[in-house]
Amino acid sequence: MAGALTERDFVGKLERAGFWEIEVLERTPMGIADCELYPLFTEELLATMRRLIAPERLERIAVCAVIRATRS
Amino acid sequence: MTRDLLHQDEIRALVREAYRAVDGESRAVAERLYSPEELALVPASAVGRALGVGNHLRHARIRPGDTVLDLGCGAGIDTILAAHRTGPSGRVLALDFLPEMLERTAAAAQEAGLDNVETLEGEMEAIPLPDASVDCVLSNGVINLSPRKARALAECARVLRPGGELCVADVTVEDEELPPEVLTHPAAWAG
Repeated sequence: MAGALTERDFVGKLERAGFWEIEVLERTPMGIADCELYPLFTEELLATMRRLIAPERLERIAVCAVIRATRS
Repeated sequence: MTRDLLHQDEIRALVREAYRAVDGESRAVAERLYSPEELALVPASAVGRALGVGNHLRHARIRPGDTVLDLGCGAGIDTILAAHRTGPSGRVLALDFLPEMLERTAAAAQEAGLDNVETLEGEMEAIPLPDASVDCVLSNGVINLSPRKARALAECARVLRPGGELCVADVTVEDEELPPEVLTHPAAWAG
């Protein structure tokens, strides 16, 4: 998650890489409860996130985007 | 600027170590993302180690006979599902930087009775495939792990044939930055 781009930056990099017809087909919010499902999120990291991220943002820390693009 | 707090090599090492060490059951992840019909096609060993973030396969236009690259195959759940869709006349190339993950994917493919899966060890920033050699690139929760995302996406474009498609599920963030303590936490680069 620390390396995640904004959707705008992701699409921009796709365009610069030579893709076109770029479509964002799904956007699914990822909250702290979703992060807890992954063994990659350690208890320490989850506790840090709960402590430092505003409560109103804990339900939407990130967004999973499904993007399809065509090679020009 | 907080995203520049770590060097590329540090990020790469953190991600590699985190994925090598991952040792937890994550069937709940698979059940959140895939339908029961999809999961019925996948061996339990792969379902129980799902680490993807979305179900891009719903939108991937994979045709029988296609050559598909699964970029960062992990334990193989998307590889298996894609291999069912290409059928025996197609093939899925499962790429990962960890031999441990490739072994899991190969074992899952064998258990599923699929002989159209090939594993490839390599980095997404230097895909070991020729130009214009695949019809579709899949990636699930992987691009965000790269310290050189532009390079990784350029490699996807290079290996795709003209008109081929990239279908990716990945974590994105909104404009507001996460706290620096989260951005520099080793586990946050893998999770």
